[in-house]
Amino acid sequence: MSRAGSTHSAEGRLSQLVTVLAFALPVIFVLVPLAIFLVYSFFGVDQGTIVYAPTLSNYVRFFTDPIFLPVFWNTIVLCVSVAVICILLAYPAAYFLTTLKGRWRYALLMLLLVPLLMSYVIKIYAIRSILGLNGFLNKALVALGILDQPSTLFVFNMNAILLTLSLLLIPFAILPIFLSLERIPQTLLRASDDLGASSLQTFLRITLPLSLPGVASAASFVFVLAIGDFLTPQMVGGISGFTFGRILYSQFGTAYNWPFGAALSVALAIVVICAILVGERFGRSRGTSV
Amino acid sequence: MSAPRPSTIFLAAITALVAVLLYSPLFVPIVSSFFTISHGNVDWSSPTLSTYVALAGNHEILAALRTTLIVGLCTVVLSVVSGTLLALYYHGRRFGRSYLQFIIFLPFLMPPIISGLALLIFFREIGLERSLLTVVIGHTVFVLAIVYRTVLMRLQSMSRTLVEASYDLGATGWQTFWRIILPNLSSAMVGGAILAFALSFDETMITILVTGTQSTLPVRLWAMMRLGFSPDINALVALILMFTVLLCVLAARFLIPRQMATERT
Repeated sequence: MSRAGSTHSAEGRLSQLVTVLAFALPVIFVLVPLAIFLVYSFFGVDQGTIVYAPTLSNYVRFFTDPIFLPVFWNTIVLCVSVAVICILLAYPAAYFLTTLKGRWRYALLMLLLVPLLMSYVIKIYAIRSILGLNGFLNKALVALGILDQPSTLFVFNMNAILLTLSLLLIPFAILPIFLSLERIPQTLLRASDDLGASSLQTFLRITLPLSLPGVASAASFVFVLAIGDFLTPQMVGGISGFTFGRILYSQFGTAYNWPFGAALSVALAIVVICAILVGERFGRSRGTSV
Repeated sequence: MSAPRPSTIFLAAITALVAVLLYSPLFVPIVSSFFTISHGNVDWSSPTLSTYVALAGNHEILAALRTTLIVGLCTVVLSVVSGTLLALYYHGRRFGRSYLQFIIFLPFLMPPIISGLALLIFFREIGLERSLLTVVIGHTVFVLAIVYRTVLMRLQSMSRTLVEASYDLGATGWQTFWRIILPNLSSAMVGGAILAFALSFDETMITILVTGTQSTLPVRLWAMMRLGFSPDINALVALILMFTVLLCVLAARFLIPRQMATERT
């Protein structure tokens, strides 16, 4: 392709155009908006209009106001819990998939991944109706005799957010764990078996350590997706389920303070970048760079 | 055959539980599209298609559906053209590639609320009124990484000798591009296009932030959800689910066979 440019002048112009586009497109539509966004976080607001004078007041407010740091911290804890729940459910499922043969393995994997592509808003709505006071979950718990009467334990609060996010994000945990389990050479497992290890020993000393990179990527995926979500908390969180995403979103709606919202986004971005880096660092299997 | 071990039964049970958990939210609207549900109890006795009839008369929803399809098609065209161009350009070039690649992946890695808000402020600063155009730009920026990666992976698995043979046989750069490179990329481009469309079809968070007066289907559903849905929404959901499954099967057909074949070698 490097020779393509020199043959005709029309081709030369085209390749120049492509070169310009290849640099300009990502810069204009991704880097510039993010840079402006960052700059906005150093502006202030006076009576509903944005004051274009540099100030650190947004960051000072974030760290000193008694509201924001606790919500920020609670949201991080919530999203870590979501990641843990997703992994606890996804790991056995992914492991089960790898014990299946050929066609079944991928058919079942497909089955568990397809719900990802289904309408996010509709899923939130359906889960809300399942969790509700009159929902299927309460009905089932009462019918099984676990509860005497419908409980409000998971209606419009943090628990509801926790359950809903976990349900929505499980597939994102299944895929990376499945891929890391599948990559473990069968010969290692057979060698361990030949050397007299029980299947539990083989699992604990061979399979589990080798699949941890997949678990790390899964955790980082789920965490990042959960912490950026503002729709789910808004819909199932009620008044008590206040998350960072909701506060951030409200700065661009009812609260109308874009610069402060930008500062909150910077805080969110820092956490997300840390999570991605941690996932990257531990997500690589030792010895291979794939 | 011996009886399955307890551990296998345990694993199978967890897998079944996960499947039930994943599908129960989808089950609710589909069942309610054919049966009436009151106070959490399904009335199995009288299946009906009335919800589907009602849907045909819901102009608000149909308009939103049309908007979504228009946005999806524009997004597909823009993202496939620019994603393919970028992949062709960056492939085999070293200068600045990893930085540019990182920039392309940013909107996909960052939470949508950050990408959406950044674009919202950007549009305001350059004086671009919020409209379907801003939605299309937002979606394209979001899905570009997927199309780019799909095409780039195919390019990397393509044998260098094909292009060299074409030049040796006297073909010009154009001829090589149209007759050798593009046909080899076509199925990756189609697969990328389907993924881009599926992502655009369901994109809610960026859209909410950058949309003007016309809203796409997920945003309209989001607005309606606060008040509760009318039954015809269930019919729509059932139809969308079927459509999505169809898209998945299509995408799998275009993307999986070749990649699996290359993985084995």
